[in-house]
Amino acid sequence: MLELACHAVVPAMTLDIPVVQALQVLTVLVAAPGINGVIARVETRLQGRRGSRVLQPYYDIAKLFGKEALAPCGTGWVFLAAPLVAMTCYLTVPLLIPVLTTFPLPFGYMGDILGGGFILALASFVIAVAAASTGSPYAQLGASRAKTFGAITEPVVLFVVFSVALVTGTDLPYALAKTVRASADQIVRPAHLLAAGALFMVILFETGRIPVETHTGTNEFGMIEEARSFEHSGPYLALLRWGSTMKQLILFVILINVFIAPWGLASDASLLAVALAILALVGKCALLGVGIAVIDDSFAKLRLFKITEFVSAAFMLAVLSVFTLYFGGG
Amino acid sequence: MASLIVGVGPPPSSYAGLTTALAVLMLVIEFGMLQATLLRAQIRLYAAQSVVISALAIVVAFARDVPELYGLAAFSVLLKVVAVPLVMFRLLRRTNQEIAGSRALGVASMVLLAVVVAAFGFFASARFQLGSPVLPAAALAVAVAIILVSFVLMIVRRDVASQAIGFFALENGVSLASLVVAARLPLILEVAFLFDLLVAVVVFGVLIRVHHEQSESLSTEALTELRG
Repeated sequence: MLELACHAVVPAMTLDIPVVQALQVLTVLVAAPGINGVIARVETRLQGRRGSRVLQPYYDIAKLFGKEALAPCGTGWVFLAAPLVAMTCYLTVPLLIPVLTTFPLPFGYMGDILGGGFILALASFVIAVAAASTGSPYAQLGASRAKTFGAITEPVVLFVVFSVALVTGTDLPYALAKTVRASADQIVRPAHLLAAGALFMVILFETGRIPVETHTGTNEFGMIEEARSFEHSGPYLALLRWGSTMKQLILFVILINVFIAPWGLASDASLLAVALAILALVGKCALLGVGIAVIDDSFAKLRLFKITEFVSAAFMLAVLSVFTLYFGGG
Repeated sequence: MASLIVGVGPPPSSYAGLTTALAVLMLVIEFGMLQATLLRAQIRLYAAQSVVISALAIVVAFARDVPELYGLAAFSVLLKVVAVPLVMFRLLRRTNQEIAGSRALGVASMVLLAVVVAAFGFFASARFQLGSPVLPAAALAVAVAIILVSFVLMIVRRDVASQAIGFFALENGVSLASLVVAARLPLILEVAFLFDLLVAVVVFGVLIRVHHEQSESLSTEALTELRG
């Protein structure tokens, strides 16, 4: 009798694996604009201004969804399809990376780090094509800059992937996260520190923080990512904005849950563990966002052609990481 | 292919990982010196590198029980972190020149060149097969890379201040190498090395000042002409 009562009090609240998988995507989808809001808030506070609410990005997106959509004359279906394709890409990547769980989910082994990179690149490609199809000089400028500088950061990402592959023997994100969690030796390992540093610098660049971009401004000297969506409006613009915050959160998740702090993830599919994992993820990303806001505010923006200097520093870290692995001791 | 599989090994122990990471940090700071644009930043980078090597000496002293290294670390902090930067700052106080434009190459090509040179250092020292009871052999490879990159620094920067700092940084690389191959070197010898460094600092400082008084700049471009 007593046993029965106990069973009734502590029900086994275990989520289905597909539900957890869907929650991974949903967490990224819902939390992304909020993280952007946190960064913007901290940034403005550091500059001595009051700043907007943390939830402001959600209001902006909601407002844009309520507006009418206009397309420039002469643009075709590519222009309208691009935001949807890009959003689909950003919704696919969270299936491949450890967002909430330590154990791989069914789709987790569908693609490795390079696979995720390709999907992110596809999103960036369709947005660039859409921007180029408008014929607007600013949008085209943003698109061509994004593609040019994307090519410069590519070798850094490749070397980071090489060093991950050398450390784990595979380049699945779950495998690296597991290796990092395995022992403290793995964390102070110089190859790992260097690769994480290089990836962090790439992420600073890719999310438009430093060295040249003002990610919210409309100053064309520093515009790369922001300029591409100049001709979109209404729900399409909302999707692009939302997508760009999702890209930022996805990169944060890769850095945190694969490289620097893969703790606080759910080790089983119980409701409590998954809920805690969601909270931990949002907390960790907000912390990283605060750090990035501090970095963003404490360095002056550089001239556009200084990008190579910034990226060469990241490249140096990534190459040294592979060196230390090859020549022992890494 | 075989070497690829060698790369996939168990991680080094925490001690080996930490010490190698500190050594690599010194190398990263050395790369920072390549692109420093302010005289003060250059001197501060050198001080930071010296802090790291002192910390490394303390870690080795603690973990491998080599008490002499505590003394060495103390001397090294006093000289390299406090005295040398102070002397340099004092000597260069009246020179209002900056060193931003003294690079012979662009930053990106300079870094690539230095990466190639550092790779050569890594490759070369991997062939030595030198084992050491106190530090992992990778630290020796990093030390060789630091020494070579210091040479690159002295070659590609055309200002006397960076060249002097490059020479001091080279001494840091040599200290790191001596930590690996001869950590139990008698303290008196190591301290003699450090005082050698101090002499070098004073000599370099005087040379920098004389050069600055004669040519009104820190650039070595003015040294290409013969004077009768």
